[in-house]
Amino acid sequence: MPAFRLALHFIRRDIRNRYLGSFSGGLWALVQPLIQLAVYGFVFVYVFHAKVPGADAPGYVPFLALGLWPWVAFSEAVTRATTVIQDNAPLINKVAMPRQVLVFAAVASSFLVHGVGFCAITLALRAFGVPIDLLALPIALGGFVQLFLLALGVAFVCAAVQVFVRDLAPALPQLLMLWMFASPIFYARDSLPARYQDWFSLNPFAYYPEQFRALLLHSGSSSVRAEAIALLLAIAVLACGLAVFRRLNPHFEDFL
Amino acid sequence: MSAAPVLAETRDLGKSYPLVFRSRDRLRALWHLLAGRGRAESVAVLKDVNICVRRGESLGLIGENGAGKSTLLKLLTGVLTPSSGSVTVNARVGALLELGAGFHPEYSGRDNIALAAALYGLDATEAREKLPEIIEFADIGRYIDEPVKHYSSGMVVRLGFAIVAALKPDLLITDEVLAVGDEAFQKKCVRWIEDYLEAGGTLILVSHSMYHVQKLCRQACWIKHGEVAASGDVYSVTQAYLAYQESKSATAAPDRHELLAQNPEFHLLDFSLNDGGVAPLVLAQGATLRARARVQSRDGRVPVVVFGIVRADGTPVYGVSSEMDGVRLQHESSNVYVAEIVFPELALLPGAYVVKAHPLDPEAIRLFDTLERGLTVSGQSREFGMVRLRHQWLNAEQPAQKVAVS
Repeated sequence: MPAFRLALHFIRRDIRNRYLGSFSGGLWALVQPLIQLAVYGFVFVYVFHAKVPGADAPGYVPFLALGLWPWVAFSEAVTRATTVIQDNAPLINKVAMPRQVLVFAAVASSFLVHGVGFCAITLALRAFGVPIDLLALPIALGGFVQLFLLALGVAFVCAAVQVFVRDLAPALPQLLMLWMFASPIFYARDSLPARYQDWFSLNPFAYYPEQFRALLLHSGSSSVRAEAIALLLAIAVLACGLAVFRRLNPHFEDFL
Repeated sequence: MSAAPVLAETRDLGKSYPLVFRSRDRLRALWHLLAGRGRAESVAVLKDVNICVRRGESLGLIGENGAGKSTLLKLLTGVLTPSSGSVTVNARVGALLELGAGFHPEYSGRDNIALAAALYGLDATEAREKLPEIIEFADIGRYIDEPVKHYSSGMVVRLGFAIVAALKPDLLITDEVLAVGDEAFQKKCVRWIEDYLEAGGTLILVSHSMYHVQKLCRQACWIKHGEVAASGDVYSVTQAYLAYQESKSATAAPDRHELLAQNPEFHLLDFSLNDGGVAPLVLAQGATLRARARVQSRDGRVPVVVFGIVRADGTPVYGVSSEMDGVRLQHESSNVYVAEIVFPELALLPGAYVVKAHPLDPEAIRLFDTLERGLTVSGQSREFGMVRLRHQWLNAEQPAQKVAVS
């Protein structure tokens, strides 16, 4: 329970700290992915003339939005959590505390901020006439929680490894960029040549954009099998992440 | 007293840091740790430390810079993980490590108080209740709403100490807090710690101020190069430490072989304190000191001998020669003279001293030789300086058991 209180404290501090110095305050959380959406939407729709395959396919912008927001939440959570141990070295070196809390708070605050953003963009799309199934939104948020578990697992590994190997943080944006283009965010899985489609199942993130589109846009379908695999995968990644973090945790201060 | 519960205990506690020079070493260390193997190269900063602190005790940790005191404190608070041995702490610990522990420089004093309360495990309501008390104790005015990075080091300590004081921990662990604040705040802290100890609190204190250690602690532990050099009663441990410190800063004695090769007019054959050998003499405070020197005279002339006492760091305390007192040395055998002097009820205060003997020519002008013997005066005095001067308190009630020396 004290650890939970501590986590709440850090989450509050993190969210406040993020927008404290900026003019738009909390609005920035919404604006940033919106700009991304606008840029990508422009490039893909007007320059590349991208279209979602299928007869009753949704427009490209809603298609992109439902993939982009989960990715922004995921990648930002991992990026922020990677340096969180290093950034809090003064605290860690002086106060005994469960360090997992720091990672948890970094991931949780990203997901909170972008979870709100996700709801907002969904409602906004609906207001602009996109046929979004609002009843499925709570289920989609459940998917967000599952994605949170996956992100937490990846974040634990990254945060622990970063303490030892400082190259991770500068390399991470490139790795995440690769991961982003290897995920069905800008394109549907069906647009790929058939022999590459199976490889997608190895990407633990690939499930989420597809699931959100299936739920909210009824574009594509999701199977119970895929849902079960994704859930197990998220839990497995989290368990591995925690195990790695626990093992390295006692040695952090030697390398900070 | 010995039945009181143990609040903190270490068993064969050791800590070593890995030797990491290049980033490749870090990668290798990561690999070793993930594979569950031990680390290959490391430097030990603490070895086999056994300490035990019971409820109501107060332990002072003393030692030179880099001896491992702060590492030991960090191990006790759980910030560091032991490399070997174990640490057991059964108490709510309030720690103040390296001043203003864990403050975030970007946040205001108020926010940092909230964080400290959360770290200590208080909920929001409890933290709010403590807030006025903390702000009042810290007494830093409007700075409480400024970011901590704008604080002076004294203000950081004030705030840190105020937080710890408000949390009222079972075990207070602090590191040199008293060294930074101003006089008034130091007094406030010392008074608070005294009240805290009186109310049954337990203290582990690191300090370079022997005065504070002796004032606040009943036990002391001297950490030297990562090992416990001495532990036990605060007076004996601090005196042993001070003696070591002083002897370290004293200059080395001149080489005698060189001197004897020159065949000087006078040289010392031997020099002893209370018939002891070369080893330093340990004497209880107020005991009798007897110094004896034998001088070889080349030409058979009668030498003058000076006996001097200096503190171990070289500060002169007292010196006297046979010529000053009009004494003629006793002839022992051909060209050998003996000088012997007694200091009854030696007035030296506890500490480390050096007694010196020098032969001079009969005119008491030229000095030919020097021999030194170490002298440690033991005792439990908290008086200042080097000697106890005769004194008497006037118009005051005398304590029943201890009347001032008259």
